[in-house]
Amino acid sequence: MTAGAWACLLSPLVGAGAITAAGTRITRRQAGWIATLSVFVAFAGALVTLITLLGKEAEDRQHLSVAYTWLEAGGFRADASILVDPLSVVMMLVVSGVGGLIVWYSMGYMAGADEERRYFAYMALFVFSMLLLVEAGNLLLLLVGWGLVGLASYLLIGFDHHRPAAIAAAKKAFIVNAFGDAVMALGFFLLISRLGTLDFAPVFEAAGNGALSDTVVTLAALGLLGGAAAKSAQIPLHTWLPDAMEGPTPVSALIHAATMVTAGVYLICRTHPVFEAAPEVQHLAAILGAATLLVAGLVALVQQDIKRVIAYSTMSQIGYMFLGAGVGAYGFAIFHLVTHAFFKALLFLAAGIVIHHLAGEQDIRRMGGLRRFLPRTHLAFGVGTLALIGIPPLAGFWSKDAIVASALATGGTLGILLYVAGIAGAVLTGAYALRLYWIVFQGEPSPLVLEHAAGHGDGHAHGAEDAAGHEAHAHAEGPTSMLLPVGALTVLAAVGGLILIPGLWKPLETWLETAVHPLVEASVAEEWVTSGGAVLAGAVGIWVAWRAVSAGRELVPWPHLRTVLEHKLYFDELYDRLLSRPAQLLAARLRDDVEQPLVQGSLDEIGRGALEAGGGVARAQSGLLRSYAFVVTASVIVLAVVFLVVR
Amino acid sequence: MLGPGVPWYLAVAAILFATGALGVMLRRSPLIVLLSLELMLNGSNLALVGFSRLFGEADGQVFALAVMAVAAAEVCVGLGLIVAMARRRLPLDVDRFAELRG
Repeated sequence: MTAGAWACLLSPLVGAGAITAAGTRITRRQAGWIATLSVFVAFAGALVTLITLLGKEAEDRQHLSVAYTWLEAGGFRADASILVDPLSVVMMLVVSGVGGLIVWYSMGYMAGADEERRYFAYMALFVFSMLLLVEAGNLLLLLVGWGLVGLASYLLIGFDHHRPAAIAAAKKAFIVNAFGDAVMALGFFLLISRLGTLDFAPVFEAAGNGALSDTVVTLAALGLLGGAAAKSAQIPLHTWLPDAMEGPTPVSALIHAATMVTAGVYLICRTHPVFEAAPEVQHLAAILGAATLLVAGLVALVQQDIKRVIAYSTMSQIGYMFLGAGVGAYGFAIFHLVTHAFFKALLFLAAGIVIHHLAGEQDIRRMGGLRRFLPRTHLAFGVGTLALIGIPPLAGFWSKDAIVASALATGGTLGILLYVAGIAGAVLTGAYALRLYWIVFQGEPSPLVLEHAAGHGDGHAHGAEDAAGHEAHAHAEGPTSMLLPVGALTVLAAVGGLILIPGLWKPLETWLETAVHPLVEASVAEEWVTSGGAVLAGAVGIWVAWRAVSAGRELVPWPHLRTVLEHKLYFDELYDRLLSRPAQLLAARLRDDVEQPLVQGSLDEIGRGALEAGGGVARAQSGLLRSYAFVVTASVIVLAVVFLVVR
Repeated sequence: MLGPGVPWYLAVAAILFATGALGVMLRRSPLIVLLSLELMLNGSNLALVGFSRLFGEADGQVFALAVMAVAAAEVCVGLGLIVAMARRRLPLDVDRFAELRG
């Protein structure tokens, strides 16, 4: 029954282990194939699980499979178990499916890079960790997966370990995520101390029937929200995600767009009974999401790095998911997670082709007019952009509008505010997405683009790089292993939204309902109003961006505001002043005032004392036989006098 | 009991020991130092035999024999060293052999 799910979980781990154990005995291409195949085997396992579950009654779709008792301490027990239910199956399919496409793409993108095998081992490890996170059968195992994805993210951001910027970004991501992990662990400790278990069912039951006091539930939910916000880069723990773009582009696509950063949304949906027992915290999640989607959308308007624009867009879209999960529209939050995984992975991979084509250039001010040289990529990026903006019938339209409509259906001041934020976010999305697309692909080709086009036209300017037996460039847009995944994602981004049409056709919603029942249900009228509003908002954004960019102007005409946005609202500077510098100052003071005089000083003194004592003794060691004899005799006489006279 | 009493023997032993000790401390020729060492050993031998007589037990005499054997072995080694030094024309002065100083 759950064999498929176990195979899905373990296959990438086996792949990572095999690449690690084989070391240099396999070629780089073989390492790539092992990683890709292991992830596709995982996808097959997820498909088998889906089909098995489809054959069951709706009530019978939840299976907890225990492998063994993992640890036991006093009254506390945790099993190594996986939970197979509609929610985890959807996540398994997304993680292994999109993950498999991206690992496949990496084989072309990373060809010729140093230490390629290490890269593929890390990628397989990441997919395993992410699958462990979504399949975990209790909160403790979930925390293990949670920590492991953080580790894999750290390793992959810092993959170019000779670039100081990459190392700094990796450390930043790890520290912020470790903070979130710690907050989450505190929430878990509280649950253990009150309930003595971290299994899903008893925790949710206790949260639902009032067995836990309000304070405890609120604190536990806050702990979960802290972990979710750090992992999903929501304000105020978002500063690591833009810097994480230092990692290779497929890593950004897989970890920092499609899967890991959406884990926070999954967590809220998975533990929704806890959040429902603490409604203030759930509303806080929605408010954080709304704030993030606006701030990230604004900052994305002025960024000049192609990957950073997409990174801010990711934060903004996860803000939508948090908003959805925060108002209780879990199905729609997961729906947006799925469609976002499609179109955002597509955008990143298409951006990767552009970066690859321009030999590593990421500054959009040096790009332009690429549609003539990269027609297929242009098409893919265009579909991704429109799906992101939410133009019907592409994927983003269905999912984003459903979330905003749920906010409207929540009602009250909060609902209205969230709704307005969602619509305003749609304007921003239209503006920054079209600006990026237009600057990169439309207009006149820039000198840099022409130079690279000429290089590719000559035939094999990159021939030297690829001489090591790698896939030769099929044409200028990259090897087949890069184009096929992008093609597959283009199709998914175009039609992936059709798994759920709010109000009319809802297989995904029904499917998820048995696992997570939504709190709000938007009426058909609200859906129509929202869809009209959101599409109109997106169109306004597109129009504004098109007017500005095609005239060569900046999107934000006011220089002061632009400075503020270019500095990302000074979050980094604030944290630097508030946390980083005081900590460094304190460390410096402790070193100068405590460590140097006390620890180092006392050690120095002990050493110097021993040296001086040795010098003194050495002077007595004259080597003169007669003086030794004198000392011995004199000592004997003294001893004799002491024993005989003094007694 | 004939002859002088045990205390006299002890006094001679002490004088012998002190003479030997002074010789070790004051003389510089290794040959004389070795001779003085023998004097010290024999002084202590005399004291052992004297005490043995005083307490009427044989232990001290047995010890004296053992000390003589050790002294003989020591003289063998010591004289061998001195002969080797003389052959290599090294100065026969214990103060000049101070390489082991710290």
